[in-house]
Amino acid sequence: MKKILPLVFALALVSLSFAAPLWETYAAVAVTAAAALLGVVYAIGTGFGINELQMMAKEEFFQLIALGVMVAVFVGANSLIDGISTNPLFTTQTTPPATDLQQAAIATLNSNIADTSTVLGYIATMDQEVSENASASTQCTAVGVGYSVSTCGGYNLLATPISMAGGIAGFALGEQAAMMQLIQVSSEYSLLLLLPLGILLRTFRFTRGAGGLLIALGISMHLLLPAGIIFGSMLGAEFLAAPTSTGQGWNGGCSYADCPYASGYTASPSAPTVESCNAADITGAEDNAVATYQNMRNALDSYLYILMVEATLGPVIALLMFAAGLRALTALAGAEIDVSAISRFV
Amino acid sequence: MVNVIDVSGICMADGSGLSTNFSAFLSGMVVPLCAYAAIATSLLIGAAYMFGTATANARLTTWSKTEIIQLFISLATIFFIIIIMNTMCSVNMQEVAAMFGTPSQPQAYTNVYAAAEDYLNESALYTHDALTVVRYHLEGYTILAYMNAFACEDFGTGVGWGCLFGYSGDNLQPLGGYGALSGALSIFFNALLIAMFTVLNYIFILMFVYSGFVFLFLPMGVFLRAMPYMRSFGALLIALALSFLIIYPLVLGIFYLMGSPGDILLSPPPGLPPVASYDESIYPQQAGGTIAGQLTQAAFTVSADQVKDRYFEPNGANLEDPVGAIEFASDAFIAAVFLPTVALLATIATVAYLARLYGEEIDLSRLTQLV
Repeated sequence: MKKILPLVFALALVSLSFAAPLWETYAAVAVTAAAALLGVVYAIGTGFGINELQMMAKEEFFQLIALGVMVAVFVGANSLIDGISTNPLFTTQTTPPATDLQQAAIATLNSNIADTSTVLGYIATMDQEVSENASASTQCTAVGVGYSVSTCGGYNLLATPISMAGGIAGFALGEQAAMMQLIQVSSEYSLLLLLPLGILLRTFRFTRGAGGLLIALGISMHLLLPAGIIFGSMLGAEFLAAPTSTGQGWNGGCSYADCPYASGYTASPSAPTVESCNAADITGAEDNAVATYQNMRNALDSYLYILMVEATLGPVIALLMFAAGLRALTALAGAEIDVSAISRFV
Repeated sequence: MVNVIDVSGICMADGSGLSTNFSAFLSGMVVPLCAYAAIATSLLIGAAYMFGTATANARLTTWSKTEIIQLFISLATIFFIIIIMNTMCSVNMQEVAAMFGTPSQPQAYTNVYAAAEDYLNESALYTHDALTVVRYHLEGYTILAYMNAFACEDFGTGVGWGCLFGYSGDNLQPLGGYGALSGALSIFFNALLIAMFTVLNYIFILMFVYSGFVFLFLPMGVFLRAMPYMRSFGALLIALALSFLIIYPLVLGIFYLMGSPGDILLSPPPGLPPVASYDESIYPQQAGGTIAGQLTQAAFTVSADQVKDRYFEPNGANLEDPVGAIEFASDAFIAAVFLPTVALLATIATVAYLARLYGEEIDLSRLTQLV
């Protein structure tokens, strides 16, 4: 201990040398206080001949060194993290290119949210038109005698899949909005608050778990979540560029060129036409219901890319990267935390 | 009988430390109980030491020596907790925000305990606002979807001859098509209810901690840690008290700094009309608030769009924004479920860490599954 005691104070002085009226000053105070506490613990251990206390003081001293390294790395890591954040691999994924990874992720998410909102809007419009047509019935009553016929009843069967589609689109939209909220919060607070506070809290043994978690949360939110979003976007771009994305040929094995149903996956779908129903025209009403169904079927796979790949698979990948990173980094930061509760949000 | 203290009374209002009430609670209840536990434990250890000396049983005397040190560690922990709580009462979160240069800062002095409580209260309020907006949309779509219209057969003349001598024409639900949006919003309505219950649950945990009940774990921990085979259980009690009194409010207090007024975390999505616009009435009270008045107005409404506007544009501004409502609900989930869960995970992690420090390791994986 005699050999390492000067190192403790050297460490404290190095920390103090940051000497800015910011959190570094408080980190230096924390290091000094922790070093003093360790000295007391070691002294008690020596005085009473308690080896466990001496061992604990020594172990904690290494944690103090780790803290000093973290503080130093963090001060230097700003440029490293910025380097990762501003890597062209990530930032050029958007048009125009973003300034950093977070802005690229926000731009990507904004674009995805706009796509999903458009799709939800199409579905809602379609739903209104289909339901209005489906509700039409005609009746004739005179002198207490009459009939009522639901001529446009064929449209009714379309309501259930449209409602399901609305649920899926809404869920996808909510998922992306939640991720956007996380990234915006992390852009403002990860490096500013979570990471330095995590390092500070990690100084003391009883707050090490919380400190480790905050460090891991800060890094995961700042780097891994946006990186996951960019990866998802890159995967989506590759998928759209692949020849198979132009159609599945799932209708009786027809080739895509001849297949009347597959419109191909696309990032910009259009709203299918809903044929109007005339309640007085029984034969025409049925034909129009079938035509509307076929229009919807033709447009189906053009919606799938946005709803399944862009708005569901991409966020799942990003959130899994975030949760896995959180778990790995908490262990690295000295706090073994079961983050399966967070993973279950995915 | 346990003295349950005033929830808002842990700290002095001026940040000078623990409040008089809470100090009285500590000195009148917690400290004496801990002292009794320490005395009882000391007596047991002393008796064991004497018996060990009398019978020349080295194992017993060694155990006694070990346990007396552990007893001191337990007692030191209690004083350590009180000192830390006192410090946390003195920490001004405004200054912490200024220290880290957060974009927006608390409006007034607040300590860590009050900040933690404020964060959860604000999250609950935010979730309730999101719930109000989603409910308003769902209610509107449900009401509008069931509206029926009947067009009398006019035989191409523009006059409803079909209804002159009978009742002939077409039935329609002109606003029946809200299944997709209702489906989407229902998911978020249910999720928000869960979020609301979750954040209320977290508030309850915090109030439970603030009520001082967790302090009763301390004397039990002091006594049990020194008993044979009970070290781990006693350590767990002390670790629980330490973690929930310090770590849980501390992490929530940090999140409070991220949810200050004007910050992204607790702000409604941009573009959404003010939450106050989404009042609780089914139809805007424009006709003296009577049902007859509403029906009279409805009877003179000439088109489906006007009916819709009466609900979604009662004062001229369009309140219909299902996408904004969904985004609001998602944001509320982050504020009310995700972040408080992180705080609880940090607390549980600390429990595990401290339980290992004070006793032996305890598998807390079951506890985390409660989250």
